[in-house]
Amino acid sequence: MVFEQLTGNLFQGLVLGAVYGMATMGLSLIFGVLKVVNVGHGAFVMVGAFITFWLFSALGVNPIFAIPVAFVIGLGLGLFFYYTVIQRLIKAPELATLLATFSIGVLLQEVVKLIFGSEFRGYNWTVGKIDLGLTVLPVSKLLASLGSVGIAVLLYIWFNRTRAGSAMRSVVEDSEGARVCGVNVGAAYAWSFALGIGLTVTSGVLLTMFIPVGINPYMGGGYTLKAFVIAVLGGLSSPYGAFFGGLVFGLIENGSYTLFALLPGVEPFALTRFLSFLILLIILLIRPTGLLTRK
Amino acid sequence: MLQVRDLESGYGPMQVLWKPGLEVKAGTVTSLLGPNGAGKSTLLGTVFGSVPPWGGTVVYEGKEITREPTHKKVQLGMALVPEGKHLFPNMTVEENLYMGAYLKRAEAHREESLEQVYELFPRLKERRRQMAGLLSGGEQQMVTVGRSLMTKPKLIMLDEPSQGLAPLLVELMFETIRKMKDDIGLTILLVEQNADASLEAADYVYVMHEGTIKAEGTPDQIKASDDIREAFLGM
Ligand SMILES: Nc1ncnc2c1ncn2[C@@H]1O[C@H](COP(=O)(O)OP(=O)(O)OP(=O)(O)O)[C@@H](O)[C@H]1O
Ligand SMILES: [Mg+2]
Repeated sequence: MVFEQLTGNLFQGLVLGAVYGMATMGLSLIFGVLKVVNVGHGAFVMVGAFITFWLFSALGVNPIFAIPVAFVIGLGLGLFFYYTVIQRLIKAPELATLLATFSIGVLLQEVVKLIFGSEFRGYNWTVGKIDLGLTVLPVSKLLASLGSVGIAVLLYIWFNRTRAGSAMRSVVEDSEGARVCGVNVGAAYAWSFALGIGLTVTSGVLLTMFIPVGINPYMGGGYTLKAFVIAVLGGLSSPYGAFFGGLVFGLIENGSYTLFALLPGVEPFALTRFLSFLILLIILLIRPTGLLTRK
Repeated sequence: MLQVRDLESGYGPMQVLWKPGLEVKAGTVTSLLGPNGAGKSTLLGTVFGSVPPWGGTVVYEGKEITREPTHKKVQLGMALVPEGKHLFPNMTVEENLYMGAYLKRAEAHREESLEQVYELFPRLKERRRQMAGLLSGGEQQMVTVGRSLMTKPKLIMLDEPSQGLAPLLVELMFETIRKMKDDIGLTILLVEQNADASLEAADYVYVMHEGTIKAEGTPDQIKASDDIREAFLGM
């Protein structure tokens, strides 16, 4: 009985983990190319959530079509913040970019609050449930998960099969080497940042397809923290590492939830969050370069 | 082919280049000698554009290109083999070399360029599927030189290509420089610590010290001047 519940929950964890993974790829990409930690990560997730909410509630647009909209808006926001803020700070001490991305996050929160107010929002997209034997899953969650896998695969192909993709990879490996090859390193920085933000805003769509409630300007904080844990799990600078880190994190979160629920008198959700940070601390202590890295 | 005049640049508030000037004639090997910290790497970096110039001019094939971005310069046929390798450790040898042919102009010739590099360094052909980060220091240096050749350059600037190599590999590197000039027809600006071998390979020599050019001449003239050798080259 418990075992069945556990396997069912672990499966759900994997489905959610794919979305978590996708939601961390942008953070890792930006760190990998620019060595900038985007502390405002969660705020961009929040922007994606509001895009989905607004398109659905005001215009009746299917959340699936919110994906390209969010991606393009994310690219635009990324280019805007790169050229207005980040570009000037790349060579500055790390504290400068930490403060800058933190401020950008606060700015986004307040702008969204001005437009939508600070109450919790939600939407109700009913597309039925599907019985997978192991567990019953809402179709919306399945779509969010498959969408995440699809985006990760597209990103992989783009990185490995296109000129722009190989330029970006070369900058990650050695920016001076990339320059020698004739890569426009400045442009690669700008577009990596834009792509990272585009992916992050898009993940806001997928995450609300998973959890279509609790949308509010301050929802991002929890996602920033989770993304840090996942990024560290996956080795920080690789988007694919981040994706697998997400899968692992989904499994841990859901598995531990089931197990904690067995303890009498315990509120499992709070413990799950505690566990995430315990994991983060332990990894940082024993393998600060991340668990899934080669070296 | 290349004229550098009154070049000034540095890092932050610190000026390193104090108006050195030099000329590299087409089809020759021009050697830039000087002690550690003289500003040789900074000069190559400023000519190439990875270090922003503060003043002075760089004329390449008759055109003033002082402030053109590096990718434009690579497009025009200027190549740099940077000091300290800078290859892509998690790509294979062949992927590294193909990255050298990243720009359209070079991409069109990338298979012949690759053959040419493998002819110069047969060792790289054997290792072509290996991750570049796992190669020996000498092999990594070959990849760095090969990758710059893949850009189809007319002028190649080499920054201490024999640094840290075993004697046999130093010899190979200088043999390669000779082939680049005689067989491929490249124009070469060579920065070296190894003054002896460098004087041997060069058609013309500049001696740099504290950010300026202190002496110039043919290798024989430099060798004949005890003052220059003692003051700047420690020979
Ligand atoms: N990236 C950098 N940032 C700050 N200072 C630098 C940088 N690179 C070089 N310098 C300084 O500039 C001066 C000239 O250095 P440069 O590397 O051009 O000399 P070099 O002639 O190439 O010496 P070497 O033979 O040791 O390679 C030195 O004082 C060095 O400390
Ligand atoms: Mg040097």
